Amino acid sequence: MTRLVLAVAALWVGAALADVVVVKISQSPAAADPKATYWAQAPVTEVSLMAQPMVVPRPAVTTTAQVKVQAVHDGKTIAFRLTWADSELSAAGRLGEFSDAAAIQFPAGNGEAPPVVMMGSKDHPVHIFHWRAQYQRDLEQGKPTMKQLYPNVSIDMYPMEFESAAASNGVTERDRERYSPGRSEGNPQSYAKSGVDEIIAEGFSTSSVQQGHQSAGRAVWENGQWTLVIARALALEGGSVLAPGQSSFVAFAIWQGGAQEVGSRKSVTMTWTALQVAAR
Amino acid sequence: MSKVKNWQLKREMEYAYDEARPKKQWAIVFDLNKCIACQTCTLACKTTWTSGKGQEYMFWNNVETKPWGGYPLAWDLKVLEQLGRQDWGKNGSYEGKTIFEGAAANERAVHFHPKDEDWMYPNIGEDDCAGQVDSGGHIGALPHDKWFFYLPRTCAHCTYPACLAACPRKAIYKREEDGIVLIDQSRCKGYGECVRACPYKKSMYNPYTRTSEKCVGCYPAVEEGLQPQCVVNCIGKIRVMGFINPPWKARDDNPIDYLVHKKGLALPYYPQLGLEPNIYYIPPIHADRAYLQQMFGPQVDGAIERYQQLPSDPVAQGLLTLIGSTDRIIHRFSVEKQRARGFDEWGAELISVPVTEQLIERPAFDEKAQAVRNNTP
Repeated sequence: MTRLVLAVAALWVGAALADVVVVKISQSPAAADPKATYWAQAPVTEVSLMAQPMVVPRPAVTTTAQVKVQAVHDGKTIAFRLTWADSELSAAGRLGEFSDAAAIQFPAGNGEAPPVVMMGSKDHPVHIFHWRAQYQRDLEQGKPTMKQLYPNVSIDMYPMEFESAAASNGVTERDRERYSPGRSEGNPQSYAKSGVDEIIAEGFSTSSVQQGHQSAGRAVWENGQWTLVIARALALEGGSVLAPGQSSFVAFAIWQGGAQEVGSRKSVTMTWTALQVAAR
Repeated sequence: MSKVKNWQLKREMEYAYDEARPKKQWAIVFDLNKCIACQTCTLACKTTWTSGKGQEYMFWNNVETKPWGGYPLAWDLKVLEQLGRQDWGKNGSYEGKTIFEGAAANERAVHFHPKDEDWMYPNIGEDDCAGQVDSGGHIGALPHDKWFFYLPRTCAHCTYPACLAACPRKAIYKREEDGIVLIDQSRCKGYGECVRACPYKKSMYNPYTRTSEKCVGCYPAVEEGLQPQCVVNCIGKIRVMGFINPPWKARDDNPIDYLVHKKGLALPYYPQLGLEPNIYYIPPIHADRAYLQQMFGPQVDGAIERYQQLPSDPVAQGLLTLIGSTDRIIHRFSVEKQRARGFDEWGAELISVPVTEQLIERPAFDEKAQAVRNNTP
C-alpha cells in the first residue's frame, strides 16, 4: 500500500512542480472578491489532485483532478483564487446532504522546513483555511432554521421556547442550548459560520477550529465551476507566517458535496506546491 | 486491521483497532414474547434525550414491527443484501463475512447511507402481518404461518462498534468503565461516517447542531446504579439492563450472563454483521423460524425450546420475575425458597420478590357476611 502511494505520489510531483507566484498588487484583496479585475494580473498555476489515499474511509475515485490557482498580495493581505469544475452546487443542510468545500493549507510558522503535507504531524502543525458553500450561506443568510431546512415541518414547541416573554420566566438561550448537545458543548460546528474555518492540525484526526477570525472567503458557482477566493493576513501569529520576498509552501483539498464527499472523502494535492511571494 | 475475538461468531475477525474489552459491558435483554409495541420506551427516551431542534425525527429507542417495519426504512434488508451469503458452520461458527471483512479497500464497513426520507416513517409497517390471513384461516400450531413480532431497539453499545471504526476524526469512544459508546459532541464535525457505517443505523445526524448523535445508554443514570429510561419505563417489564461478561468470564449469578450464557435464552441480533452487539433478545416463539435464524443466528431453535421449558426451571423463572421489579441495576441475583432476590454491586439487597404469586381461592358465598362475592368492583 505504502509503496503504491509513493509511486503515485512520484507521478504527481511532476505536475505540482510549477510554483504558485503571488503577485504584488496595489489594491487590498481583503474583500475576497472572485470577480475583481486584479486577478487578470496573476498567473494561473494548474495543480493536480487525487483521491485522498491515506485515511479510510476514502473516495473510490478522484472527483476533482485539477484546481487552477492564482494568488495576489498587497504587502498586508494575501488572497488565493481557486477554480475547479463541479457540475452541481451542493451546500448541505438536510440529512444525507454534504457541502462543496475547499481548503488551503500552509505550514504553521515560516515554513522553511515544511511539515508532512497530509495535515502535519505532532509538533509540526499546519494551518488550514477551510471554506464550505454551507459556511458561506451561513455568512450571507444566517444559519438556517429547521423551518428553512424543512418548510413543511410542524412542531408544537421546542423545550423552553415560549411565545411570550412573560411565560419564559427568565429562561436564557444558554438554558435552551442544553437541548442541543453540540451547542452546549461549544462545538464550533453547531454555530453559524463566517465562510471560512481557520484550523490548526498536527496529523490526521487532530484538526481543531481556532477562535477568532482573520480570513475571508467568498465563492461563486457558475457554469459548472466554482471560483473561490480566500484572503488572509500575510503574517498570522501562532500560524502561517508569510512575507514579501520569501518563499513557502501551500497545499490544496477539494470536496464535491454532490458526490457525498466530506471529511476524509476528498481530493488532495499529494505534495506541497512552492509559493513565491513577490517582493514588489 | 487487527485480529480480534468475537465470541458471538465463535471465531476471530478483522477490526480497525485491537481488542480492548471494557471493565464492564452495558447490556440489555429483551423478551420479545412480551413486547406489545406500546412505545412507552420510545417516548421515555424521546422526552429525556431528543426533544430539541434537529431531533424531530430522531428516536434513539424505537420499536418496529417485523418483518415489514424498519427505522430507518429497510435498514436491515439493505445491509444484509450487500453482505451476501451468511452461512453458519455446524459447530456454530460464522462462515460468511462480517461488514468489516466484506468492506471495500477504501471503506471501513459494508454500509449504506439512508436517505433523508428513510427516517421520516418511524412506525411504518406497524402491526402488518407477514402474509395475507386467508378467510377462515386460524392459528393452530407454533410457529404461526402468519406472524409478526415487535422489535424494540436501542444502540447496542457494541464491543466492536462500526461507528467508532469509521470516524476519521476519532470523535467516538467506548468507555472503559461500562462499555457505553459515545460521540464526543465537542469534536464531532457531522461527517456522518458513523451514520453510514453503523449497520443498525443507530447513529443519527442532527441538522441543527450539525453533529451526529446517538443513544448514550443513559450513562448519567448508569453511573448512579440506575437502569436506563427505556428499561425502567417499560410497562410490560420485558427488558432488563445489566452488565454482560464474555463467556469465558461469565458468572451464573449475574442476571445477564445467566440469560445469555448459562441458559442460552437471549441472543444477539444480526451477530453475523460482526459488531458483537450488546442488546440480546429472547426470540418470539410464534414467528417464522427461518426469519428468526437469519436475525438471531443458529441457536434460535434451542433458545425457543428452553424458553418453553421455563415453567420447570424455578431459577430462570425467578430471574424473569426480577425483571422490571427495580429501577436499580442488578449485579447479582439468587433464587431460593421460592424467592428471587437482586443485589447491587456491593452485595446489598435491592429487591426480593416471590417467584409465584400466592393463589388464594375463596368460595363464591361468604358465610360470615352472608353475602355473595363477585368480581365487580
